[in-house]
This record gives sequence, structure tokens and C-alpha cells, in this order.
Amino acid sequence: MTFEQLAFYFLASVAVIAAGLVITVRNPVRAAMFLILTFFTVAVIWLLLEAEFLAIVLVLVYVGAVMVLFLFVVMMLDVDVDQLREGFAEYLPIGMTVAVIILLQLVIIFTSGPFDIEQMPAPAAAAADYGNTHQLGLLLYTYYVYPFELAAALLLLAIVAAISLSLRGRLSSKRQNPDAQVRVHKDDRLRVVKMNAEKQD
Amino acid sequence: MIALSDYLILGAILFAISVAGIYLNRKNVIILLMSIELMLLAVNLNFIAFSHYLNDLAGQVFVFFILTVAAAESAIGLAIIIVLFRRRHTINIEDLDTLKG
Amino acid sequence: MPEWILYLLDFLPDWDWLHVLLVSLIKVVAIFIPLVVAVAYLPYAERKIIGYMQIRIGPNRVGPRGWLQPIADAMKLIFKEIIVPTKSNKYLFILAPILAIGPAFAVWSVIPFTDTLVLADINAGLLFVLAMTSVGVYGIIIAGWASNSKYAFLSSMRAAAQIVSYELAMGFALVTVLMAAGSLNLREIVLAQGGGLTNWYLWPLFPMFMVYFISGVAETNRSPFDVAEGESEIVGGFSIEYSGMTFAVFFLAEYANMILISALTSLMFLGGWMSPFGAVSDVLLLGDGIHWLLLKTSILLFFFLWFRATFPRYRYDQIMRLGWKVFIPLTIIWIVFMGVMMFLTPWGYLFH
Repeated sequence: MTFEQLAFYFLASVAVIAAGLVITVRNPVRAAMFLILTFFTVAVIWLLLEAEFLAIVLVLVYVGAVMVLFLFVVMMLDVDVDQLREGFAEYLPIGMTVAVIILLQLVIIFTSGPFDIEQMPAPAAAAADYGNTHQLGLLLYTYYVYPFELAAALLLLAIVAAISLSLRGRLSSKRQNPDAQVRVHKDDRLRVVKMNAEKQD
Repeated sequence: MIALSDYLILGAILFAISVAGIYLNRKNVIILLMSIELMLLAVNLNFIAFSHYLNDLAGQVFVFFILTVAAAESAIGLAIIIVLFRRRHTINIEDLDTLKG
Repeated sequence: MPEWILYLLDFLPDWDWLHVLLVSLIKVVAIFIPLVVAVAYLPYAERKIIGYMQIRIGPNRVGPRGWLQPIADAMKLIFKEIIVPTKSNKYLFILAPILAIGPAFAVWSVIPFTDTLVLADINAGLLFVLAMTSVGVYGIIIAGWASNSKYAFLSSMRAAAQIVSYELAMGFALVTVLMAAGSLNLREIVLAQGGGLTNWYLWPLFPMFMVYFISGVAETNRSPFDVAEGESEIVGGFSIEYSGMTFAVFFLAEYANMILISALTSLMFLGGWMSPFGAVSDVLLLGDGIHWLLLKTSILLFFFLWFRATFPRYRYDQIMRLGWKVFIPLTIIWIVFMGVMMFLTPWGYLFH
């Protein structure tokens, strides 16, 4: 049992247990935390597969941003979890059956032959100065530059859509205008008037 | 040594768990979205495993784009849930039946 | 080594990885212990320095001139009772400080102290730094939620939104450093700034230095951006329900983040362990060495404390406006400007 195998089996079991807990715990905040654990563990498995850029990007994007978004939404929506779990026990047998059948079908294919260690041996270790990020960058900005730009446009679309969906209109929320506040000048607020002294009799 | 089939089986297990998650949490919209993220994660793992064993970086490029699209989709999905909750004060899918004929 | 240790070690399957593990553990302890001492003495330095700025002496009772004050504080926090609120989510309540302090200490594994003193010399060091600082936001969110208190929740949501917004500005500022250095490896970024004061990235990337440092101050929820935890705003903010050791961990996490931001700024923009005197490398203290990194980090930490003593607090919408409408456009414009200068004009050598 090499260290690599030990690491893989440990990480795989943590990922599977965490994923199982995501779908079974009552509290949606805890489900989100277990999902974070799953993402982290799978990111480390990707490090085993020498995909370091994508592993760190998974942590940066998914764990650092998408799950924060999930947590915000879960915490702000005051949900009644008991009502939502009504059908859980009722659908448990058929749900497990369907999942197990899918799993068995996939496992039968995956262990059938072409994916074993003899047919697809592990690749040779890369040279010492091989950089995964460097190679990925070379590929992304030359052969895949059009999909890259399209992905950027897609993200811009997502930003505009998310903001315009959840923005409350101008009429329904009071707001200050910090630009105007910062640009205020002394003459707008204070006017010094010269008055003659008056005699008080 | 770890064979490719080991990584593929791990991806298959994560995928099956997410399918079970969709089945079991049919009413809670947020857990549904989380199960979809798990599904995408399983698929990404598959791509990266193949990219490693076939020595081809195209798998990793594809995962890059899947991550982008999945992040965009979850952002918009959660924005929709927030707006829905503001109107209906529920995230129980059974109560979101206004379009029912 | 005694024979019985060798006999026991024969039962282990592989000696190589154990060797690597032990060496790494020793390096971890060698980084951890001075860091914990620094994090313990930083609040003391803060109180003394801010005290002198306000024409008063800081703590000076405990020990000679107050030097044992952190020890007294640590003893107090250790012996205080840990109160868990009744309706709070107990596991999440205890998990939150751990989530806050874990990433703060984990990043130190990729920070190079000199050319050879680095725990993990990875080729994606900059990305790792960004990823770990992104994970640092969870401690705050979970703390506010698990406290089951409205004010703690509100403050933690605000603090989390603030951190996520300024993370973007910090990431873009680091992209400009990446463009200038050509590598994600922190050690190579520092080596690219070798050769004296004029080669530091501070000069060609001066706006990015300002953006990065100020965003760092906002990330760590320090004054003047501490609306989420200022005492006159919301008392303790997200850590209001925490007492004793749990509060101490949040406190440590905040100061560890401060030291981390200062160290990263001095690595990226101020040349790290490189001396400003360039080629003078045989004179004892004027050459490259860890003392320059410590000196630069201390100067930046002094700035952190100086900001706290000087500036009034920003309002929350002003903080958001600064992050989104000022810093992020500035960084994006600077990236485009740098790209054009580096590749399309003959003055690109200025940025390398």
C-alpha cells in the first residue's frame, strides 16, 4: 500500500461520507458545510491527479464564492425543515433503489476492462519544471480562446441577471448617494453673511 | 498503483449519491441545487481522471468551462430562489404551483 | 538513533515519506511557534503604540514596562468560562473559530522567508494564498449564524460581504504582480525583484500596492473598515457570544491575518527578503536575509496600527462603494494598461 493509495482511499471515503451526509442531514446549514467538505476533499484528489490549477480554482471559486452564496441564501431564508422532509422516509426505498441501480450499471462498465491499470497505465511523472498552470494557459489562450471569451461573456450575463433579478427597485428602498455626499462643498452648506452690528437699546 | 477505474468508480458513487439526493429531497429547493452541484463535481472528477491518464489537457480545459458555467448557473438559481421567497415566503416546491392548469 | 527506534521503524512500509513527514513537521513547528509569539505580542504592541500616539502610556503594570501583558491576557482568556448559548447550534458554534484560524495559519506554509527557507515551494503559491484567504470567510459566517443572536448574524453577514468584495480587488492586484513577475511561485516573485530598491514592484505597480494594502486592511476587518466589529457599532460583532478560549481563537485569527497581509505585501511589492542596497551582499546585515523581510513586515504592521489610531470609521455603504466602484475598476484598468505597456510599447522593461 503506497502512500498515494493510502491517501486516495482515505480522501475517497471522506468525500463519499460527506456527500452522503449532504443529502441526509436535517439542517440545511450543516448540509452546506458538508458540501464544502466534499468540495475540499475532491480538490485534494485532483491534486493527486496532478491538476493543481483546477484543484486550487475549485477551492477558490466553489468553496470560496459559490458556497458562501449558498450559505447566505440558506441563512436568510427562514425555512421550516420539518415540512420539507415530509416525503423522506416514504421515498427512501425507491430513491436508494434507483441510485444503486445507476451505480451498479456504471461500476460494471468501469471495471469491465478498458480502464484497468494494464490497459491505461499511469502516465510517467512529468519533468521537474513542468507547470500545470503554464501548460493550461498555453492551451487556453491559443486553441481555446473563443470558448474562453464566450465563458467571460456568459459570466457577465450571469452577473447582470443575478443583480437585476434581486435588485429592489429605486422606489422601494431609500438610499444615499455617496458620490454626492463626498463631493459636497463648504459653500453649499454654509453661507457667511456680513451684518452690521446693531445697537440694543 | 491507482487505476483509472478507481477514480471513475469514485465519480460514479458521487453521482449516484446526488441522484439519490434529488429523489429524497424533492421538496427542498436548496438541497436540490446542492445535489446538482455534487453531480457536476462527479462529472468534473471523471474528466480530470481521464485527462491525467490520457496525457491530454483538453479534459482540464473542459472542466475549466464546466466550473464557469456551474458557478454562473448556481448564482442565477439562487437569485431566483431569493426573489421567489420574497413573494411566496416558502421554498417548498409543492407550494410553487401557480402555473398549474 | 537508538536501536529500538530503528527496529520499530522496520514495521513501516516506506521510510522515505516518513522522513519527509518528520522534516515537514519540524518546519511547521519552526514556523508556528514564532508566529504564535508574534500574534500574542501584536495586541500588546498595538496598545502601546496607539497609547503613545494618543499621548498616554499603554499597559505598563504587568512585568517590566508591561512586557508580560500578553501572558496575563492569555491566562485570563484560558481560564474564562466558555459559554455556549442555549439555542445555538453547538457543533457549528465550536467549529467557527477553527474555521477562522485554520486558513490563517495554513497560508504560512507557502511564504518564503529567504531563498531556501520555505515549507512548501509550490509553483502555484499565489493561487494557494488566494484560495486560503477565500476560505477564511467561513469562520465569520458560521460564527454569526451559530450564535443565534440577531446582532451577531447581521454583523457577520456584513463582514462576510465586505471580505468577499475586497478579495476581488486583492486578487486583481495580485494578477498585476503575476504579470510583472511571470510566475505564480512566491519565491520567484521575490527573486524577480532582486537587485536593489529600484527593482521592487512598489514603483511600477504603486496603485496596486495601495489597492492591495488597503484591501488587506478591509479584509481583516480592521479600522477604518471595522464596521462589523467596532465597539461603538455593534459591540463585538460576530464574536459577541464567544468568551474565553473561543474568543481568543478569533482574536488570534484576526491578528494572524494582519501579519499575513503585511508579509504578503512585503513579498509581492517590497522585495521580500531582498535588501534595498542591491549588490552589497557580503557586508553582514546589508545583504539579503530574513531580517529585511521582518523589518518590512513590521513597518507595514505599524501602518495597520497607525490607521486604527488615526482614521474615523467608514460607513458600510461607503466601504462597499470603495471596494466595488473604486478599487475593482482601478485594478482592471491597471491590468489592461500594464498589458498594453508590456507587450505593445517599447517601455515594457519598466514593468519586469
